[in-house]
Formats: sequence, C-alpha cells, structure tokens
Amino acid sequence: MNASLLSLEWMILGGGLVFLLLDLWTPAGKKRSLGYAAAALVAVTLVWSFRVDASTPQLAFNDGYVLDALALFFKRFFLIATIGVLLMSVDFADQFQAGIGEYYSLILFALGGMMLAASANDFTMLFVSIELITVTFYVLTSFLRHKTPSLEAGIKYLILGALSSGVMVYGIALVFGSSGTMKFGELAEKAAGLTHQKVFLIGALFLVAGLAFKISAFPFHVWTPDVYEGSPSPTTAFLAVGSKAAGFVLLLRFLFVAMPHAVVAEWSRVLMVMSGVTILYGNLCAIPQRSLKRLLGYSSISNGGYMLLGVAAMSHEGSTAVLYYLSGYLFTVLAGFLVISIVVRQLGSDDLKAIAGLHRRSPLLATALTLAMVSLAGVPPLAGFFGKFLLLKSVLEQGSSYYWLMAVAVVGVVISISYYLGVVRAIYWSDRPIEPKELILGAPMRIALYACVLGMLYLGLFPNFTLELASRATGVLKF
Amino acid sequence: MGQVGLEHYLVVSALLFCLGLLGTIVRRNVLIIYLSLELMLNAANLALVALSRFKDNLNDHVSGQMMVFFIITVAAAEVAVGLALIVALYRKNASAHTEDLATLRF
Repeated sequence: MNASLLSLEWMILGGGLVFLLLDLWTPAGKKRSLGYAAAALVAVTLVWSFRVDASTPQLAFNDGYVLDALALFFKRFFLIATIGVLLMSVDFADQFQAGIGEYYSLILFALGGMMLAASANDFTMLFVSIELITVTFYVLTSFLRHKTPSLEAGIKYLILGALSSGVMVYGIALVFGSSGTMKFGELAEKAAGLTHQKVFLIGALFLVAGLAFKISAFPFHVWTPDVYEGSPSPTTAFLAVGSKAAGFVLLLRFLFVAMPHAVVAEWSRVLMVMSGVTILYGNLCAIPQRSLKRLLGYSSISNGGYMLLGVAAMSHEGSTAVLYYLSGYLFTVLAGFLVISIVVRQLGSDDLKAIAGLHRRSPLLATALTLAMVSLAGVPPLAGFFGKFLLLKSVLEQGSSYYWLMAVAVVGVVISISYYLGVVRAIYWSDRPIEPKELILGAPMRIALYACVLGMLYLGLFPNFTLELASRATGVLKF
Repeated sequence: MGQVGLEHYLVVSALLFCLGLLGTIVRRNVLIIYLSLELMLNAANLALVALSRFKDNLNDHVSGQMMVFFIITVAAAEVAVGLALIVALYRKNASAHTEDLATLRF
C-alpha cells in the first residue's frame, strides 16, 4: 500500500484540521481572513497536483483507491471550484453569527470527500466519500441557523440525503450479496454471469438511485430548489458545482468500470428517459421563478439532465463531453453565484427585482451575470454552447434510437433561453426606478469574477486543451 | 423446525428496510422520520453481516463485515449532525412536524 498516493487528500484534510484549531487562537475580528489562508492552501495543493503522476493507474487501500487520469482531472476540478467558493465565503462570512472558521474547515472536509470520491474504486470508498460530502453539507446548508429558510433547507437536505444513502447502502448490500465482491475491478469480471440475476439488478438500480440524488436527476431532484434557495450562497455554489460533479464521477466509474457492459447497455433506455425528463422538468419549472437562487436550482436540475445525455450515450465521446461540460459549468455557475452572493449580502434579497439596474450599480457584476446566463443558455462563443454541442453530437452519433432524446434536449434549450434571458432583461430593462446605491466589491471578489469570466471565454473559444485533458481522463472507462 | 439460515436473515432485513421506508413516507414527525431512516441503514447492516457469514462464493468474508463498521461509524456521525439540526429546528419553531417546514415553496 502506498499512502503517498493520497498526498493531495492529506494536504486538504490535514489543512481542514489545522484551520479548525487555528480558529481557536484567531481573534474574532480576524477570523474572516482565515478564508484567504484556506484558499491559499487549496491553491498550493492545486499547483502540487501537477507534480502528481497519474499516467498509469495506481492503487492503494486494498484496491479501494485508484489514482488515474480521471481521478486527477476531477481532483483539479474540485480544487479550482473550492478556491472560488472560499473567496465567496470570505465575502459572505459576516452573515454568520458564529463559527466562521468552522465554515472554512467544513468546506475543506467536503473537498476532501469529493477528492476521495474521484478516486473511489470499491463500494466502501464510494460510500464513505459520498457520506463525507453529504454529512458536511448538512451543516453547510443550515449554517445560517438563526434564519428559518436556511434551517429548513438543512432539515430537508438531511432527511432526503439520509433516505438516499439508506437506499444506496441497501443496494450495496444486494450487489455484494449476489456478486460476492466489493471491488469495482472484480465485479466487472464476475458480473457477466449476473446479468439476469434480479437481486443484482435491483441492487445496482438502488445504487444508481443514490447517485442520481447527488446529481439531482428526476425523480430524485425534489430537494434541489428548496435547498438551493435556503442555503447560504457559497454553500449553494458548492452544492451546484462540487457535489454534482462528485455524483457524476462516481456514476461514470460505477457504470463504466464496475458494471458489465451487457447490463449498462440494457439500461441505456432508463438513462435516456431520466435525462429527457430531467431536462424538460428543470427547464419548465424554472420559467415562473422569481428567486434567482431557486431559478438556478431548477437550472441546475436541467443541466444535470444535459450531462446525463453524455452518460446515456455510452461512448467515449459522450463521457468526454460530460467532463468538458462540467468544466464550463464550473466557471459559469461560480460567476453566477459570486454575483448572487454579493447581491444577497448587500441588498438583502435574491429576487429578480433586486437586480434591476444592476449595470448602473456595478457594471462588472452585471456583465458577469449576463455572461453566465448567456453561457447557460448555450449561446456561442461561451463555454456552455460548445459543451451542449458536444453532448448533443455524442447522442446523435449513437444512431436513430436516440433521435427523440436529441429533439427533447433541443426543445429544452429553446425553453431555457426564455428564463435565462429573463434574468438579463431584469438587469438592463427594468421599469422600476432605481435608487443608485453602489455595490462594494473587494479586490479578491473582483479577481474571482474576472477569472470566472475569462474561464468561460477561454473554454468557449479555445476548447482543445481541456478537451484533450478530458479525453485522456475518460480513457480509463470501458465502453 | 429447520435451522435459521441466510433466507431468514435476508427476509428480516428486507422487512426492516420496508418498514423504514414506510415510516419515512408516512410519519410526520421529523424525529420519527429520522429514526426510520436509521432503521434502513441497519437493514443493510443485517444483510451485509448475514451475507458475509453464509455465502460460499465470496472471495473474502471480511469486506462485507468491514463495510458494516464503516456504515455504523458514518451513521453515528450522521445522527450527531442530524439530531443537532432537529434540536435547532425545534428551538426555532417549537415544533418538529413536517407541515411546519413550509417557508420554502414554489
């Protein structure tokens, strides 16, 4: 066993513990700036990750942990996301009554869980990493516990999260019982003879249901809008980016490493229906929303549906498109939530009315939010357009049985344009007279916003580098 | 009367799981719902332990039992956080009923 394979996880989890202690010795007035130190630690870990060699898969913990190109791609993804979330939380921190330092530590612990999830190679690791993420998020969602919405979001996430992990654990027990192994590699070899065993299929279905909860796919999406609306903005951003991506890496690994090809091929129809319904549901429900966070909650459901297109395509191109889409989604959603977080903190509301005339209060915020919405709507040349294009292309290549799904996805895109552009209209063309109260933006937030905007443009205009990384990462999956 | 075998354990485990699921859906008190959820986790524990003990085709009998320890530990962490949340909710609302969780809605 080689514990040094986990160097990145050690850095993050150790850092989380150190910050928990540092919090005790830091005077109350300076606790907020601990977040900058945490972001610096994550940045250092990100740089360090380029010294990690993952060209050949390496195993640790009795084959439960694997370090390969896919794991490394997602680890970097999570690290980048967390830097943005930490900067956002420093700005947001004065809303918390107590425990600012703990908030940063919890974010680091959740990040550790996501990084372990990226490397999960048996059911024990899958379960523990997913629970590390979920249990941390119970606290993060209800961190504004003096406010009813946040507490309610926490309780709803707690009940539904615990329900999904209960179902998932039972699924693991059934899969273990019928196959006799916990390891993904062994399961793939054995499972060829299990394709018609009902117990095995039910177990695997339960497992997929548990993962579908994480990516908020229909019909396991019910928690999403409420939890997104009630949680503190940095938590919502982290849920939208990190938690969802962790669900996708586990789903990809489970379907295309652990499961036999015959079973997955039979399931393609289930995944297609799930993807189509998720897209339509998310987009249709987003139309009448007035709260920006809730709107992004429904938008996040529909985006999960788009990414499921790539999974349902069951091809190398499809999975590569998922990874690319996630990269674009990272910058887009972070930009959106950075703006929302500032607006909520300084104007006290995330209603569409609150952002009326945002361009007069702060042109940078207005531009960033507009670009994020336009990218989510899939307008070229931003990241969202090329991602959707790749996903649809991968589905189209699978032949005529997929055409209806393609049509559903295109209809979804058309619907989504209406509400995304509704947000843009609320910024620039609102009838309400606006008191010219300027929004204050600190230098770190400014930098984070510029970075997100640059990321969106870079991924949209020069996709080749990221695509190549994604393509190499999905090389470890078998189709 | 035959001996108690794998089937008996699995049937009890399935019953526990269904009871837990039923309790989660039907009951209205957050605390009872949470209790039912723990029942579901323990249903899986029972199944895993019984399978590790009785199945012959296993490569290793340890990994299932090991998983149970992980589940117990994680469940304890989840209960610690969950009960804290429910207490916070009760202090705020003076009620732990799901009908009162209605601030966030469509």
